[in-house]
Amino acid sequence: MSQFHAIVIGAGFTGVAIAHDLALRGFRVTVVERGPIANGTSGRTHGLLHSGARYAVNDQESAIECIQENQILRLIVPDAIEPNGGLFIAVDESDLEYREKFIQGCEECKIPIRELTPKEALRIEPNLNPKLLTAFTVPDGTFDPLRLALAFAATAKSNGAVFHLYTDVVDLLTDGQGNIKGVKVWNRANDKRFEIEGDIVVNATGAWVGQITSMAGIRVPIAPTPGVMVAYDKRLTQRAINRLNKPGDGDIVLPQRRMMVVGTTSFSIEDPDYVPVLPDHVALMIERGSELIPALRQTKERGAYMATRPLIGSGAPGRSISRTFKAYDHKETDNIEGLVTITGGKATTLRLMAEKTVDLVCKKLGVNVPCTTAETPLISYRKFYVD
Amino acid sequence: MESPAKKPNTRGILDWFDPRGRQVGGWGFILNRLTAIGLTVYLYLHLVMLGKLAQGPEAYDSFIAFAKQPLIMFGEMLVIIGGLYHGLNGVRIALNSFGVAVPAQKQLLYGVLGLTLVGSLIFGLRMLAAH
Amino acid sequence: MSEEKWTVNFVVYRKKGDGEPHYQTFTLEVSPDEYVIDGVERIWAFHDRSLVFAHACHHSTCGACGMRVNGVEKLTCITRIRDVTKNGGTLRIEPLRNFPVISDLVVDMSRLYVGMDKVHAPAVHPLSLAPLEGEGIKPPRDVPMDGGKEYLRLADCIECGLCISACPVAGTAEEYLGPAVLAAAQLQGLKRAPDLAEVVDCVDGVWRCHSAYECTAVCPSNVDPGWRIMDLRRQVLAQRIKRWFGGA
Repeated sequence: MSQFHAIVIGAGFTGVAIAHDLALRGFRVTVVERGPIANGTSGRTHGLLHSGARYAVNDQESAIECIQENQILRLIVPDAIEPNGGLFIAVDESDLEYREKFIQGCEECKIPIRELTPKEALRIEPNLNPKLLTAFTVPDGTFDPLRLALAFAATAKSNGAVFHLYTDVVDLLTDGQGNIKGVKVWNRANDKRFEIEGDIVVNATGAWVGQITSMAGIRVPIAPTPGVMVAYDKRLTQRAINRLNKPGDGDIVLPQRRMMVVGTTSFSIEDPDYVPVLPDHVALMIERGSELIPALRQTKERGAYMATRPLIGSGAPGRSISRTFKAYDHKETDNIEGLVTITGGKATTLRLMAEKTVDLVCKKLGVNVPCTTAETPLISYRKFYVD
Repeated sequence: MESPAKKPNTRGILDWFDPRGRQVGGWGFILNRLTAIGLTVYLYLHLVMLGKLAQGPEAYDSFIAFAKQPLIMFGEMLVIIGGLYHGLNGVRIALNSFGVAVPAQKQLLYGVLGLTLVGSLIFGLRMLAAH
Repeated sequence: MSEEKWTVNFVVYRKKGDGEPHYQTFTLEVSPDEYVIDGVERIWAFHDRSLVFAHACHHSTCGACGMRVNGVEKLTCITRIRDVTKNGGTLRIEPLRNFPVISDLVVDMSRLYVGMDKVHAPAVHPLSLAPLEGEGIKPPRDVPMDGGKEYLRLADCIECGLCISACPVAGTAEEYLGPAVLAAAQLQGLKRAPDLAEVVDCVDGVWRCHSAYECTAVCPSNVDPGWRIMDLRRQVLAQRIKRWFGGA
């Protein structure tokens, strides 16, 4: 067991998965999160456990990550997943033109698909657009965002990780030469301020990584890219329904409990702290969603919300940027020791993001312990709250 | 998670009787609790009155004369209303507890209130007539 | 969503550490079609960064954002401002009742989670356990799932704690399992999970309920705990009667 103390900033999907991985590899772990678990982008994801098929044509690196992680998550955290599969459906000629590329892409990424006739598709999902032209089954799923994050956090906690929730990082502690040796925090629940020293600080704040790195005078190329999602008051399918086409707005409709959630849009902003839900985006969701499932038009809106993806790169944000992730060792990029930043990626790949980040941390500190998170089932998410 | 106060955020039995924010079933519960307390208090008064019997016929007669006052008759009326409501609501809850008519608990409560009203009126009229 | 703007006074319960609780008013310009959680989040973003509140999914699948809005338990992410106040009106925002307050609007719901674990409440269960009839979908029975398994679905109960907060007896009986927990036991049924009989057939189980049905009135997620507690009572009684007559 190493005696190294790692401080993880952020308890979204990336942060909790990193905390879990670090704890399994014998680190002493402290997590600092300014809100409750998964209050930012992670909680507000629409909950699609990607099969990878969405990215099989344009972003195969992400697609392969997705299909592999999809299979792993089903095994280690079944308590948070509806593993009912998904469909890609074509409803117009442009969708049909995408068919060949889709089949080829899925084959290259080893994503198992099966083509259904419109009749077969309507038989298993009677609420689909009856004009659909073809359909493919894919191993998609739906996950419960909070419980997915909590399962990782609970397991990390059971392995010794300490969570400081409702605690803001107000500054980074340095050794005088600019190297990072801890964090200065403010616990808002009891209004106490204190310092935590560690051997390594992992910045896992997603769309907010820039706020942390700027405390060390570092800029990272991150493009906060929000999108709107709308939940409707009735469950209309058993499976996740995707549009058979290039990723675009409002082309995923998925069931969750007794709801359907339609997502999403994509635009760029400067400050991710508060992003309003834009009415025209909500209107677009019903417009696009009902092309896949017409009955959505007769269904009441239950909620509308906005989440900010942390996409890597700057310049033109949006659909063209890869959905993969990147871990930065700031020793290499900025000559600052003691700080690692992880960002990008997607919910489905949270475990892999953690594995790569903790690999980097281990390499930096000379720790030689392999990652075992792919084989380690998580404990009940309820254990996070109960000691 | 750090939780400085382990004490639950409750006002105890005050929350039983606070009608703010309560819905139909909650009103049924509040009335049930109030009538239960009223009937319990009455039971003690009743036992005191029965005790008068042991003190001989004079004590008893003077008590009966005292009990003919309008205020006491009003009290008796409350006992009747409370008893009717509490008993009928008991039947409602017992039915529900056997899994009967739970989705209709609101309508049952309205029925209980209606029967209580009718029963109380009948009794009240008879009491006035006897007077 | 319209362009209409309302001015609303958010009167927010505040409490830090062992300090005295008090109320603080924030006047916000909102769209009446926004949800209450949007207002609370904006108070944190633009007015007071010390505010502590819980939220995650913003669309009623996680159960984190339960609060009392004008005295009634609400899942604030699906409560439209239009439905709970008026232009120039007030929204009194308080933490849930019957749980310890951690700070401001956040409570410690471990009481609920301990109970849910005690009755091993499933978070994901076969569709047949709680079918989606009336939801407009009837998947054909003869279509096998991937790998021939049955359809699974996330449980209706999102463990938000609203039912325990609304329950008048949960405030005076700390050991009471509470509506969500009893509902989770009923969902499984005593036939399927006979070990639950012992957990629920006791003074702090089904018999603590006094039929106020406030749980059902506030449940945001189709659980109907009031009905489920009564049905569980029926199951317990049926078992007892069977036993009296020498049944197993």
